Amino acid sequence: MRVILETKKRIKPFLPVEAESIIPRNFLKGTDLTVYEGNKERALSELFWIFVEGTAVSPDKVEIVLKGDTARIKRVGEYMDTGAIRIVGNIGMHCGNFMSGGLIEIGGNADAWLGREMLDGSIVCHGDAGHYCASGYRGEKHGMKGGRVEVMGNAGDFCAEYLTGGDVYIHGSCGDMAGVEMKGGQLVIGGDAIRPCGNMKNGTCVILGRVHKMIPTFEKTERRVLPEWNITADVFKGDVANRGKGTLMIKIPELIQ
Amino acid sequence: MTELLVKNACVFDPLNGISMEMMDISIRDGRVVESVSATADVIDAHGCLTLPGGIDSHSHVCGTKVNFGRYMSPEDMRAGRTARRGKMHITSGYYVPTTYGNSYRYSTMGYTTVLEGAMAPLEARHTHEEFTATPHQDMMANTLFDGNWAIMEAVQKRDTRRAAAIVAWMLSAVKGYSIKLTNPGGTEAWGWGEDLTSIHELVPNFNVTPAEIITTMIAANELLHLPHSVHLHCNNLGKPGNYETTLETFDLVPDRNNGRQTLYATHVQFHAYGGTTWRNINSKAEEITRSVNAKPQIVMDMGQIMFGRTMTMTADGPMEFNLYCLHHNKWSNHDVELETASGIIPVLYSKKSLVNCVMWAIGLELALLTKNPYQCLLATDNPNGAPFVKYPEIIGLLMSKRYRDEEFATLHEGTGQRTVISSIDREMDWNEVAIMTRAGQAKALGIIPQGKGHLGVGAEADIAIYPIRCRDVDPSTEYRKVIEGFQKTMYTIKRGRIIARDGEVIVEGANSTFWVNPSVPEEISVASDPEFVKKFEEYYTVRMGNYPVQDVYLPRGKCIRTEAVL
Repeated sequence: MRVILETKKRIKPFLPVEAESIIPRNFLKGTDLTVYEGNKERALSELFWIFVEGTAVSPDKVEIVLKGDTARIKRVGEYMDTGAIRIVGNIGMHCGNFMSGGLIEIGGNADAWLGREMLDGSIVCHGDAGHYCASGYRGEKHGMKGGRVEVMGNAGDFCAEYLTGGDVYIHGSCGDMAGVEMKGGQLVIGGDAIRPCGNMKNGTCVILGRVHKMIPTFEKTERRVLPEWNITADVFKGDVANRGKGTLMIKIPELIQ
Repeated sequence: MTELLVKNACVFDPLNGISMEMMDISIRDGRVVESVSATADVIDAHGCLTLPGGIDSHSHVCGTKVNFGRYMSPEDMRAGRTARRGKMHITSGYYVPTTYGNSYRYSTMGYTTVLEGAMAPLEARHTHEEFTATPHQDMMANTLFDGNWAIMEAVQKRDTRRAAAIVAWMLSAVKGYSIKLTNPGGTEAWGWGEDLTSIHELVPNFNVTPAEIITTMIAANELLHLPHSVHLHCNNLGKPGNYETTLETFDLVPDRNNGRQTLYATHVQFHAYGGTTWRNINSKAEEITRSVNAKPQIVMDMGQIMFGRTMTMTADGPMEFNLYCLHHNKWSNHDVELETASGIIPVLYSKKSLVNCVMWAIGLELALLTKNPYQCLLATDNPNGAPFVKYPEIIGLLMSKRYRDEEFATLHEGTGQRTVISSIDREMDWNEVAIMTRAGQAKALGIIPQGKGHLGVGAEADIAIYPIRCRDVDPSTEYRKVIEGFQKTMYTIKRGRIIARDGEVIVEGANSTFWVNPSVPEEISVASDPEFVKKFEEYYTVRMGNYPVQDVYLPRGKCIRTEAVL
């Protein structure tokens, strides 16, 4: 079953919409759902043109397609456990929070908190991601615990903060403090990073670009060829300031090799 | 004139010797009276359990420390969220909720009076502001004197009168209620990165020992005729083997007051550990209670822990540092100029941890082995042991051996060897629970003259009616009904006004803050003492004239005046 939600023109297009009800499981019983626009509760049909194609007997066969001006629609796919959500354009904050299964594909950019505290499943973002991509919540000790987040563009600050499990792959560059407080899992950054992996406890971080402002509390252990990435990298252990056992691998630029 | 008549109430009022009596309670203008006119509003209690309003004699709900706990734990604000409803503000948080959250939850549990466990005098304004925003409970503030430089100098000179004069000035300046000593001397030593490991060790630079501070402050407290006794958080909190320090401290306490205890030892569970390391920690509740049973001058509270997440916050800075070294979690540390210290870290009490299981057992043992329920009060040192919303479960544990055994079976298997909880058969009755949560607390805090803790004629009409028919419920087997009943009152009445009904708060609050103003003779008052003023101006970052809390911070303050005999 495919549900296509196309945004209607809104009088106040900048008002955020809290749309945690947009998950595949909810659409099995129909489209009679509500979302909040600002502090007003609205029927889904007030904000979207809804087209339903086909039927489904289980939620994993439900695919939701979001079209139109979706950049201010927040919390899409929160607590999603199966099925698929495809977003043609940009998506608002908190997309895929606590997700435990299924797939979210974003054609444009994602705002902050993409895949926060995710448990399992997969998120692919073809544009850029905002701050706190694949991170934990403020004050919480565990961030993303499983699943996979792939961002084709860049990510903002605090990417994969408190990463505890799962894979995060940023093809572009990350902002400040990527992988800070990491406790497990794997973070791969295709581009550059600033001050990565502060207070890292465990897990692996691979950086294929340049590192700016490298944190001094990492201990260089060896230089290794990584066939998986086809690079030679310096391998660091850390963060030794807090007895961390993480692995930070940074590609050596060809010039130096 | 407003009148209210509570009919068919099954009343327990230990201070007036009333136990499970069916009676009507008449209320006029916020006070209990003999009778009311026929036009009074009527509440039918349907024979349900009716008690004086609950009193919490040691709880951290207001002040800088609590608020810093809120800063540190934004994740806690994801729990306990309620939307605005009727007269209720929005609330959020579980172990460090918003002030309204605290107030509403206390109200729906039937609690109407709360003592804030520790207020740093310098930061009193914040505490009083939060008192105003905790609208349904009458509040009082323990004022910290444990590392006060002026006090320690007086102690060093063995000048009890001067110590009393300083206490008098400070209490009236910061609108505090009683003397709190948190790890006396230790918080000052912490300013130098050290802690004291015994009550006979010298405080750096002051040449006094915790034992001297404690005895002098007890003497000063009695000279000033303060309503409450010295409120002591003993040295060596949370260290294996610390029961010896606690017993030594108890041995220092003279019996100086006929009306109440001479020492209130708080959260004694944290001070009753045997063993030498965390690996061989065991319960010394028997030794502690043997001492308390022989000393009517001591009252303690349980400091019970309950399993789950919570936040520890105390003025005991060095202890929190030790805890930080164990957990490596978030940690806050603070030094309050000439006065005290503080520390905060979040904790998780887990049934998988043997140490936590032993702690759980010790709290219950203390309550069950203390013969006189007036001497061991029910408290969790909220939120250090557990948030106060766990009180009903603790009541259930105290009233039912079966419930204790069921819980015990889920604990770490080593618990039985290190504790005696499983061999204690005592089950508390309704009257004892009423003492541990009301009468005893009112007596210990010295607020019976303010009309708290009982329902006799002239008492403040603070009443909690719980949906429990105590004649039909057998607490030892139907403990679930007891717990549910204590979680949500049918009615909570505060000063003659119904404030909560079936778990819903229905009015705006108008609490008062009790504070003490002891008057001392002019010639020994420190306010105009040149030496005191000089040191104050020299060492504090505030001027002495700006130090006292203005009346505007206490919109409904109630001053209790005492005459010092010096």
